[in-house]
This record gives sequence, C-alpha cells and structure tokens, in this order.
Amino acid sequence: MTRLTRREFLRTSASGAGLALLAAGCGPAIKGDFAPKAGRRVVVIGGGWGGATAAKYLRLADASIEVVLLEPNRQFVSCPFSNLVLSGVRSIDGLTFGYGGLRSHGVRVYHDAASAIEPDVRRVRVGEGYLEYDRLIVSPGVEFQWEQVDGLAAAQDRVLHAWKAGPQTVELARQLAAMPDGGVFVLTVPPVAYRCPPGPYERACQVAWSLKTKKPRSKLVVLDANANVVSKAALFRAAWKDYPNLEYRASNKVVKVDPSTREVTTEFGDRVKYDVINLIPPQRAGTIAVQADLVGADKRWCEVNHLTYESVKHKNVHVIGDSTIGLPVPKSGNIANAMGKICAVAVVHLLNGKEPPAMAPGNTCYSWVNDHEAIAVVNAYRIEGGKVVQIEQKLTPGQSAQWAQNAVGWATSIWQDMLA
Amino acid sequence: MRTIFRLIGGSLSLSVVLASGPAAAGPLDAPGAAKALACSACHGLGGQSPSNTMPVIAGIAPWYFKKAIEDYAAGRRPSPEMEPYAKYVLEAGVDDLASYFASQPRQPTAVRVDAGAVERGRVASQQCVVCHVESGKGDPAKGIPDLRGQPPGYLANQMLLFKADRRSPGDATLKALKELMKSIPDDQIADLAAYYSSLR
Ligand SMILES: Cc1cc2nc3c(=O)[nH]c(=O)nc-3n(C[C@H](O)[C@H](O)[C@H](O)COP(=O)(O)OP(=O)(O)OC[C@H]3O[C@@H](n4cnc5c(N)ncnc54)[C@H](O)[C@@H]3O)c2cc1C
Ligand code: HEC
Ligand code: HEC
Repeated sequence: MTRLTRREFLRTSASGAGLALLAAGCGPAIKGDFAPKAGRRVVVIGGGWGGATAAKYLRLADASIEVVLLEPNRQFVSCPFSNLVLSGVRSIDGLTFGYGGLRSHGVRVYHDAASAIEPDVRRVRVGEGYLEYDRLIVSPGVEFQWEQVDGLAAAQDRVLHAWKAGPQTVELARQLAAMPDGGVFVLTVPPVAYRCPPGPYERACQVAWSLKTKKPRSKLVVLDANANVVSKAALFRAAWKDYPNLEYRASNKVVKVDPSTREVTTEFGDRVKYDVINLIPPQRAGTIAVQADLVGADKRWCEVNHLTYESVKHKNVHVIGDSTIGLPVPKSGNIANAMGKICAVAVVHLLNGKEPPAMAPGNTCYSWVNDHEAIAVVNAYRIEGGKVVQIEQKLTPGQSAQWAQNAVGWATSIWQDMLA
Repeated sequence: MRTIFRLIGGSLSLSVVLASGPAAAGPLDAPGAAKALACSACHGLGGQSPSNTMPVIAGIAPWYFKKAIEDYAAGRRPSPEMEPYAKYVLEAGVDDLASYFASQPRQPTAVRVDAGAVERGRVASQQCVVCHVESGKGDPAKGIPDLRGQPPGYLANQMLLFKADRRSPGDATLKALKELMKSIPDDQIADLAAYYSSLR
C-alpha cells in the first residue's frame, strides 16, 4: 500500500514532465515505473540527517541531475536537542521541520518507504511500483535489535526507546512528568556501536536535572552495557556531581524486560524495579540496508569507500550516516550531514565522468548537562591513503553556558544546511 | 558544457543548446567550495551564518581569515570548536579556503537588534573609531577586522573574551584593545555589539 495521495503527488511532481501522465490516470496505488526517468537521476532513501543533506547538495552541485527523495515521514524531527524535550527545556515543535525547502531546490520528495533495492537493474521498489536510478544514496539510519532483549518485542508500545525523535519522545516526556515523586526512572544504554555515543549520557543529565528540580525524592538508575561512559566520560562524570539522584552502573547489560512486574534483568541476573523505563535497544543499520545485502559479515553495519561512500558490496549504491561502519567517526547527525555533502559531490563527479575530490568529514557533538550549560567534543579528519583518519579530537575544558549558546548556533546552522 | 544533452535527450536541437549556453556555475563549482563543506554545519552555506553565535565568514578578508586560522590552530585564540577545524584548514590549504570565503558575497546577519541599543552603541563607538574607523570596516594595514553585519551575540561574546583576556591571552599587540574593553561595562558591550551588527 502506498500513502502517496494524488494532491501530494501533484505537488511533488509539479515540474516533472513525465510524471504528469501518471497523475492524470492512475489512482493512488503505485504500479510499474511510476516516475519514468528522463535524464540522469539519483534516488535518495531516507530524508534524515544524511539523506536530506545529500538530496539538497546534489541539486546544488548539479541542477541538471534529477533527485528523488523517498521518506515515509511528512516531517523531519531532529534527534539532536530532543533530550531537552524530556526535561521540558524545549518543545518538539521547535525541532520539527517540513520538506518544503528541499522541494524548492527541485528535489522530488515522495513520502513513501523504499521496500527493496535491485542493484543489478538499478531500481528501487516502492510498494508495487519501482523507480530507476543511475546512482542510489541510502541513509536509513538505525533499526533496533528487539530480539536482543527478552520481552521487548512484545512490549514495544509500553517500553519506550525515544531514540528516533517523534511521538515516543513526547510520550516519554509525559511519563517522566507523570511519575510520582519518589519514583525510579531506569535508563538503559546499549552496547557500542549505537547511534550518538554521548546521547544516552546527555539524556541521563536531562532526566536527572528534571528530577532534581521537580521531583527531589526520585532517582535515576543508568544501566550501561558498556564498561564505562562511552563518550566525554570525564566531562559527564564531572557534570553528574550535581546529580546525587543519579546512580550509574557500568557493565550492566539489560537482557530482559517485564512490563507486568515493571522490572528489568541484567546479564548477571540482577533485577531492577522501575516506575518509568527508557530502554534504548541494541542497534544495526536500517532494515532496507540489511535486506539489500549492504551490511557486512556482522549483519549490522555497511562498509563503504571512504571517498565516495559507495558500498563495498554493490556498485552505484552509496551508504551514508548511521548505517555505515569502518570510518573512525561517531554515529552523529553532524557526521551524517558531512557524509551527505561529500557523497553528493562525489556522486555528481562520478556522473559527470570526473574523479571525485578527496574530502574528509568533520564532527562536533554538543551535549546539554542541565537547562543552560553544555559540553562538546570536536573531531577533525584528513584523508590518508584513501582512508579517513583523525587529525585531532578536542573537548571543551568544562561545562558552560557559552557551549550551550554555541550548540544553539550549530543547530540553527545545520538544520538550515540540511533543509532550507 | 555540462550535462544538458543527456538531460533533455538526443532529440534536442542544437539551437536550443546554444541559446542556453554553457551551464551556469553552481554554488559548489567555486574553487575551494568542496574543502569548505565542513564549515557550513556552523557557519552556513558559503559562510553566511544564520545564528546569533557563529560569525559570518562570507566575504572575510583573506589576511584576517589566515590570521584567525593560524591563531586557532596554535591555540593562541582558544576555541575547542575551531582548533581542530583550523588544523584541518591548514592541511586542506588555507589559501584556497581564504579565497573561497573572500569571494562569497557577505549578507549582514538576519538577527535583529534593538534600535535604542544601536543608538547608544553609536555614541559609545567613539572609543573604537581610532582603530575600527568610522564606517566599522576596519583597517587591514593595522590588522583591524571588519565588524559590520556580524551577529550581535558573536560580537558581544568576543568583546567579553577580550575583556577577560581569554581571546589571545597575553598577546602584547592587543594590549590597548583589552585595556579599553576592561573599562567598558557589560551592558555597554551589548550596545556596541548591536551598533556594529547594524552597520552595512
Ligand atoms: C537523543 C538523541 C540525541 C542526539 N543528539 C545528537 C547531537 O547533539 N548531535 C549530533 O550530531 N547527533 C546527535 N544524534 C544522532 C543523530 O540523530 C543521528 O546520527 C542522525 O540522525 C543520523 O542520520 P541518518 O541519516 O543516518 O539517520 P536518520 O536521521 O535517522 O534518517 C533516516 C531516515 O530514513 C528513513 N527511512 C528508513 N528506512 C527507509 C526506507 N526503507 N525508505 C525510505 N526512508 C526510510 C527514516 O524515516 C528516517 O527519516 C542524536 C540522536 C539521538 C537519538
Ligand atoms: C562546530 C562549529 C564550527 C565549525 C564546523 C566551524 N567553525 Fe569556525 N567558528 C566557530 C566558532 C564557535 C567560532 C568563534 C570562536 C571564538 O570564540 O573565537 C568560529 C570562528 C571562526 C573564524 C573567526 C571569525 C572572526 O571573525 O574572527 C573563522 C575564520 C572560522 N571560524 C573559519 C571556519 C572554517 C574555515 C571552517 C571549516 C573548515 C569552520 N570555521 C568550521 C564554530 C565552527
Ligand atoms: C587599539 C586598536 C583597537 C581599538 C581601540 C579597538 N579595537 Fe577592536 N580589534 C582590534 C584588533 C587589532 C582586532 C583583531 C584582533 C585579532 O587579530 O585577533 C580587533 C577585534 C575586534 C573584535 C573581534 C572581531 C571578530 O571578527 O572576531 C571586536 C568585536 C572588536 N574588536 C570590537 C571593538 C570595539 C567595540 C571597540 C571599541 C569599544 C574596539 N574594538 C576598539 C583593535 C582595536
């Protein structure tokens, strides 16, 4: 089934000559080649941090190339800053954007999911129809490995991850606000590699800050599958000195959840009771990447060429963002944005028969430790022997309102860089 | 000639192609543009920062760009964000990036300022004109940067850093500037920032 309405279709295809035919005749169901290719075309799967950036920069790099973006969600919700929604410091509306900016760059946006990739014939399947491409960029983010935690698959509606910003973020914020004072909030951190290494610890700060200011008799228990805080450890631990209500337990991998008894169980058999649970499940590349055999032997992540982001497994298919592995970079929105730009420029060079320039990404991850202060980690990279290599990693000397203001500056710029 | 033939198809008549001429250079065709892709996450596309905290670097004078990058990379101008990126710039080619950003037309910041603050800042700016000149565009011969149209938040923050000797700490050539900043109350710093931000 497709969710592409006729009105939406007309809007997305307003400038497409070939597409008008389809709008004239068929009903809403997509069948066959639903947007015949007139010139050179790049299809982008996923309109998140990587895909939205790639789609825009493809058009900036060469406006003669047709760009089709497939994204089931009608609105983009930013994961960065979404931990602040839990503490009530920001609203989800302020993190929600439309795709009109990409349309104004001439990107054809279809609010549908790709259902399969056929690299041999260079086609993407969408429901019962398909789209042809010259090159494909895949940025589907992460998928959760529900089966890794006993009881989780059946309890998805009650045991929230809030690790894809949207309705779950709002619901978890509501549960936190509704928790009685004196309650226990349990946050679980998955084993590496997962989306946004500092993200769970920023979330711990926001929940602890919220409890400290609004429910002083309550407690936050962080159960971390990893042996230590994965990112900015010294800075987070310094920030936690302000949160005596935060109990951090390293090497406590959660293997079971039981919503009927409101209890999680760790690898070692310890049971922890909760009033509110936020279980961030283990992760792998987005499902479409796994199904299309873009993942490596681990069946989790996709290996790519460091200059072009072309898959090592399938020609003309590029993978960017959280789904990738093998580069010495974190799974961050900033990196997905950088990969989107570099990949777009590389793809345009390849389509124009030119050698792509060797470009390295850059990364900055700000984390809010309370309602007005932040910390940050910054990474610069170079290309060496065809591989991305880190030049330097730098941390803020401590937490301050200055870095929080810079975080706002970063978010303002990068949201526009992707979507405006 | 770019890709117009393949785009529109073989049936296209030559006259149409000639009429359209060579494809106009896109925003990423400028020399150095590819190397600058990492910067837009904070400074905006082409250096046109949309926020109140990140400086506009579109149209920045090459001499000042290079000085800033060298100061950041050496840790003289402490910035956890810019130190790694400055090292990247030095490796990627500081001249290429300097000329790329210099060639980008500078739009003044879109951040609004209060008219009363601008007026108070204009009066207070008499202390600055000896170096920054009446127009605010600075003086390359004396190493004075252009302040016009920068976001007010950025300008105020840099003045506070000078005041606390946290920008280029201990730099003897900036002694007079820092002495002056120390004498300026913080609310007047906000007024001065509003004034210079409003200049075109
Ligand atoms: C709480 C939290 C805080 C974070 N904070 C930061 C931060 O401060 N800074 C930072 O840099 N990063 C941060 N991140 C990380 C950042 O959000 C991710 O790294 C980034 O979203 C990765 O981009 P992506 O394009 O790989 O995936 P996404 O942004 O998730 O985009 C994937 C898109 O693909 C779509 N999709 C999936 N399958 C299909 C399909 N079959 N067909 C079509 N579309 C499909 C999805 O709907 C989705 O929109 C944070 C993450 C979280 C969870
Ligand atoms: C993570 C955000 C971020 C990124 C990415 C970034 N910068 Fe900056 N930049 C800043 C901040 C913050 C400042 C102000 C720092 C200070 O207080 O001196 C700054 C300042 C500057 C300045 C000084 C401007 C002035 O008026 O003095 C220059 C030049 C500059 N950056 C160039 C670059 C270039 C070139 C790149 C890309 C290679 C880049 N920046 C990438 C955040 C960033
Ligand atoms: C004695 C000369 C002198 C005077 C007087 C002076 N400045 Fe400056 N100013 C400088 C120099 C030199 C720099 C560049 C410093 C550097 O290279 O890092 C500078 C930089 C700045 C900057 C940072 C610009 C940027 O892009 O980062 C601001 C803001 C500023 N001055 C504001 C003022 C204001 C406001 C006054 C008046 C109150 C003032 N200055 C008076 C010499 C002066």
